[in-house]
Amino acid sequence: MARTVLEAAPSMPALFARAAVTARGRGGDLPDTRLARTGVRVEAADLAAYDRVCAFPLADTLPATYPHMLTFPLQLALMSDRSFPLALPGLVHVRNRVEVLRPVRADEALDLEVWAERFARHPRGATVDLCASVSAGGGEVWRSRSTYLARGARAPEGAPDSDLSVSVGDLARPAATWRVPHDAGRRYARVSGDVNPIHLSGLTAKAFGFKRAIAHGMWAKARALAALSGRLPDAMVVDVVFRKPLFLPSTVTLATAPVDGGWDLAVRNEKSGADHLLGTVRPLP
Amino acid sequence: MAPQTRKAAIVGGNRIPFARSNSAYAQASNQDMLTATLDGLVARFGLQGRRVGEVVAGAVLKHSRDFNLTREAVLGSRLSAATPAYDVQQACGTGLEAAVLVANKIALGQIESGIAGGVDTTSDAPLAVGDDLRRALISLNNAKTVGDRLKALARIRPGSLVPEIPRNAEPRTGLAMGEHQAITAREWEISREAQDELTVRSHQNLAAAYERGFFDDLVTPYLGLTRDENLRPDTSVEKLAKLKPAFGGETGTMTAGNSTPLSDGASAVLLASDEWAAEHGLPVLAHLVDAQTAAVDYVHGGEGLLMAPAYAVPVLLARNGLTLQDFDYYEIHEAFASTVLATLKAWEDPAFCKERLGLDTPVGAVDRSKLNVNGSSLAAGHPFAATGGRIVASLAKQLHEAGPGKRGLISICAAGGQGVVAILES
Repeated sequence: MARTVLEAAPSMPALFARAAVTARGRGGDLPDTRLARTGVRVEAADLAAYDRVCAFPLADTLPATYPHMLTFPLQLALMSDRSFPLALPGLVHVRNRVEVLRPVRADEALDLEVWAERFARHPRGATVDLCASVSAGGGEVWRSRSTYLARGARAPEGAPDSDLSVSVGDLARPAATWRVPHDAGRRYARVSGDVNPIHLSGLTAKAFGFKRAIAHGMWAKARALAALSGRLPDAMVVDVVFRKPLFLPSTVTLATAPVDGGWDLAVRNEKSGADHLLGTVRPLP
Repeated sequence: MAPQTRKAAIVGGNRIPFARSNSAYAQASNQDMLTATLDGLVARFGLQGRRVGEVVAGAVLKHSRDFNLTREAVLGSRLSAATPAYDVQQACGTGLEAAVLVANKIALGQIESGIAGGVDTTSDAPLAVGDDLRRALISLNNAKTVGDRLKALARIRPGSLVPEIPRNAEPRTGLAMGEHQAITAREWEISREAQDELTVRSHQNLAAAYERGFFDDLVTPYLGLTRDENLRPDTSVEKLAKLKPAFGGETGTMTAGNSTPLSDGASAVLLASDEWAAEHGLPVLAHLVDAQTAAVDYVHGGEGLLMAPAYAVPVLLARNGLTLQDFDYYEIHEAFASTVLATLKAWEDPAFCKERLGLDTPVGAVDRSKLNVNGSSLAAGHPFAATGGRIVASLAKQLHEAGPGKRGLISICAAGGQGVVAILES
């Protein structure tokens, strides 16, 4: 296993560009590289901007989804590297599982580590998990697993089947309606650095086969958690699957139901009822 | 129907450190700060998921979208979502008035517990569009034809686009609060030295209170602040003497030092019946005995804008059979050092007490060693609606520490020529 410690967060526009020009000719197995950063501090202004875009209250503990802002650039570096077997353009975020082992304070120094694992077979291609672990004060405080689908790709011989099952109960009653504006992707891109062209404008999205720009899945997840502020366990696992793309602009509904000390939740298109996001929040012991 | 009333208990309080304007809390909204403050109170008293009788709070500078500010903060907090809430606004009297409202419902047996609070930001200020632009936009919205729309648009001039910034000024007089107080300071001949001395004491008392851990169970750090940002433990009369007058012209006595700065912050106080506190294993620091408001005609009546507490206190004393000297502690909100000094002087002045208050003998003097013993707004800062909660919780704790049967007086002046005063007893 090769572990590389980066001094600073990599530049994401550069990574997206590198991933695009080196997309062809990829293959093979997952690299066993781990990328890490140590002593990372959350910038107060960055957190405030993120909170505003996702509707979190400005507080001294990080939203459950915030550490992803710190680990995603490292994961992108891993994925854009030539050693990564799948081409980044066309990868679709289909599942994200976050575990908050304890509330993380905004002023803690954080150690980050990311890696890829679980190259798996999917009926329409292959999936891969980008994992992250965040530690503070010597102990792990947060981890996440983002599953990406590469349509038409093939997992190696003997790979397991991919697991995209998150089941929710009956969520018939909407708790809230959100009007998601046409620039929701650009607004989230500004605070997250995730400048994937499919989120930025209709034109750039078309270039990648989408009829319009689509909202970031992690924005929808964050926005749903923000709606549950004050009603979430301190330690929890938040597991969501991303289904139909959320085209911009859209009007969507959030449905929630209390289950087992946590929540089931769904973000759906208001008109068609199509699921954009289904997920569960469960307390950790 | 409750056959008789009971005195509401003050169980404790929580606030975030107060920040100077456009500083540590520049990115925080009123709702952010009030929610954080409620959550701190919830954590301190084990109220997670619990329903309290009512949460009452307010903000002086409030955006129209925050019409239900307190209820929204409750919904975002760890309190039960089944906790009712409402907003109040009585300028700088908001926080104390909220506590009085909660205490009165507890006194009547309508609720068993309640939270009173307040919040203000002068950083995340609610800018409004100017009135010309506002009217033009309403016409535009109502326009049915293209011609009407163009007409409405034509009314918009570049100058209309300048937003209206909330000002700390009286709508009827156009004078800033400091300018009003400068008139009062001159009328009562309050010296610069006396104001600066009171200011230094406020800073020293607040610093000493922090040093002895007095605020450990009253304040929860927020966004990197652990103490009030305005606190200058090392300030001195000599340092303050160097400041130029900020109000009252070149010969004015009021400076940025002996006036409260614009501040951001929030506070909350938990009140309850004695029975509720006992059931939940929570302490009773003090009881809210009684309260009184007063207002003066500062526009045409020749009275100072911030002099209403001077009128409210004698009414409160008479109703409770007390004299001004029957108190162990006094909390007189330091909007300006000269406000405190003018109020004290008025109570000692036979002519004022006779002519304005209708009293044959003056209200009398206050033992200065009992005044604002843990510092007040000059040192802590003054996020308008948050000051009442800061004072109620601090005074209740001070009385509790001093032992049973101790009495404290709170006096808070407010914009619009109003005052809110109250008596606490341990």
